[in-house]
Amino acid sequence: MLSIKNLHASVEGKEILKGINLEIKAGEVHAIMGPNGSGKSTLSQVLAGNEAFEVTEGEVTLNGENLLDLETEERAREGIFLAFQYPVEIPGVSNLQFLRTAVNAMRTHRGEEEMNAAEFMKLAKEVSKQVDLDPSFLKRGVNEGFSGGEKKRNEIMQALLLQPKLAILDETDSGLDIDALKVVSDGVNALRSEDRAILMVTHYQRLLNHIVPDYVHVLAGGRIIKSGGRELALELEEKGYGWLGIKDEETADSAAN
Amino acid sequence: MKPAPTLSAAFLESAGQSLPKALLDLRKQRGTALVDMPLPTRKTENWKYSSKYLKLTDEMASSLPSQGKALTGQEVPGYRIVFLNGVIQPEASKFPQADGIRIASFRDLDDQEAAELADQLDNTLDDKAVQLARLNAARFEDGLLIRLKPDAVLDQPLFVIHEVTADASGSAFPRIFIDAGRHSQATLVEEYRSSGSEPVMVNTVTEFQLADGANITNLRLTMEGENVQHIGATGVRQQRNARFESHTVGFGGPLRRHDLQVRLEGEGGECKLNGVVVTQGKQHYDNHTTIEHVAAHCNSEETYRNIAADQSHAVFNGRIHIHQDAQKSNADMNNKNLLLSNGAEIDTKPELEIYADDVKCAHGATIGQLDEISLFYLVSRGIARREANVLLTMAFINELVEQIPLETVRETAHTRLNQFFDQTFQEV
Repeated sequence: MLSIKNLHASVEGKEILKGINLEIKAGEVHAIMGPNGSGKSTLSQVLAGNEAFEVTEGEVTLNGENLLDLETEERAREGIFLAFQYPVEIPGVSNLQFLRTAVNAMRTHRGEEEMNAAEFMKLAKEVSKQVDLDPSFLKRGVNEGFSGGEKKRNEIMQALLLQPKLAILDETDSGLDIDALKVVSDGVNALRSEDRAILMVTHYQRLLNHIVPDYVHVLAGGRIIKSGGRELALELEEKGYGWLGIKDEETADSAAN
Repeated sequence: MKPAPTLSAAFLESAGQSLPKALLDLRKQRGTALVDMPLPTRKTENWKYSSKYLKLTDEMASSLPSQGKALTGQEVPGYRIVFLNGVIQPEASKFPQADGIRIASFRDLDDQEAAELADQLDNTLDDKAVQLARLNAARFEDGLLIRLKPDAVLDQPLFVIHEVTADASGSAFPRIFIDAGRHSQATLVEEYRSSGSEPVMVNTVTEFQLADGANITNLRLTMEGENVQHIGATGVRQQRNARFESHTVGFGGPLRRHDLQVRLEGEGGECKLNGVVVTQGKQHYDNHTTIEHVAAHCNSEETYRNIAADQSHAVFNGRIHIHQDAQKSNADMNNKNLLLSNGAEIDTKPELEIYADDVKCAHGATIGQLDEISLFYLVSRGIARREANVLLTMAFINELVEQIPLETVRETAHTRLNQFFDQTFQEV
């Protein structure tokens, strides 16, 4: 489904990704782990099409189509979804209006009729229950005043509504307490299907207890330095990033404390 | 040194004589005072950003025809007064008839009413500050008088449609005077529109006198064409516990200028002034507001938002003057501005003059652009870039549009805003 070959990307002239190679097939769940600053979030943003990042070399295809030629909105319509690490607050645009506009943009792209307000309201209420968000959140501004956990649940709600082909989850577990983590994981697991792929980007392996990946990759210094199965994450958990010869400030810090 | 330009004498040759004598006398007297009036220049402080947009030709000095077919066939959910080129059209209007409420054309006043009105007109605006709007007093050919007796309540909103037909160059000078008695209530909507394409000026003055406890809401929609210079002034004086609320939605033109002056003269007075202005192309819009806290224990709340696209230019000048005796004043002024293009310009200036020592006075002004990260977030959900731009721009003013208390006015505003978005954000 997704094929990344020798991907290099930089921001403000500084190279962050230094040759990423990754193949993801439909139905698979991949986890990318790595210390802070390794390029995990950059990879997510580049795949989603953030213009702040410049691709300097390499290629990315989605089902054979050159992804890098597409605008962000076209990538979304082709099935790329990025759950943001820091979802954006947009006061003045209601969550409901935002979600309906997005869903209808997808439907129009697929040649389907737009959903009217009443139809969409019904669907949105169902999905909000699935991620344990009170329907009153639909009336509020997009992420406006939401807690960290509520924002993450709103991201998963969007994924459930938009039904992407490839869902990229950028640090979706960060800032979640154990109950919220369970709700978010249940939502992600509900997304798992044979024709959909999931790419999880995470610092810690605890999310992987809830969403069990098929493959785990370790990203460091802008390259994937090790790939394996689920056991690789457990090994990392036990031994720390230092085990692979990676300097990880956060791990080092927590060890020092 | 070149002498400062003065108002052409042509502008002081008023034609129509269809007013009661007391008003004709007032008009003449006001006209005499304007002989050789200097026109604002770049050096005139309160016109410094706008004087270059002012283009008064001698052709514009003539009055536009006071008869013709008003375009206005629209139904409004309330009473309707139609001004055509500054003159009320009784057959197109629907006047309220109720005890305690007198609403009439200046032309229909008897001598006693006219004399009483002549004494009251032009007492709400600071002449030095409004300059060009003073021309209205020298030129008005009609006007709308609204008198609300104590406790009178106008049961439906009063829509005043100001229409100009710009088939030839000229000017219109519509005028409204509202005398709101104790504890009276009314909602007045002013809608400014135009047809035709010759250069014209609309020079308009609306005055409110609010007695104790009166409660007046004023909505103002400025929507004339690209050929219309609009110079308007609104003066408000409020006595004890009176409340005034205004909602302005303005669309730019070659020159749009509105001066809004509110004087809180009795304790417990309250005003809320909201404004939304959008400009595009080479348009210009200038809002100057003044709130005078004369008496103690008054509240004022002002929120204006400007959006400027293309090479357009918007100006906001908000002055709050808290007089020495106005202790316990509470004033809050906020002006936010959104630039949609590198070529657009917005000038904003809060001015606070505070002479009392026990007051709360807050002000804030910001200028920014659409947030790139918010834009990325929206398009990453498959939303078209144009649509995302519209959502974010609308988000900037939505709060103010939603506060407009009449649905039909909100709808008109939305329709015009959508036209603005269509022209500003092209399909990609």
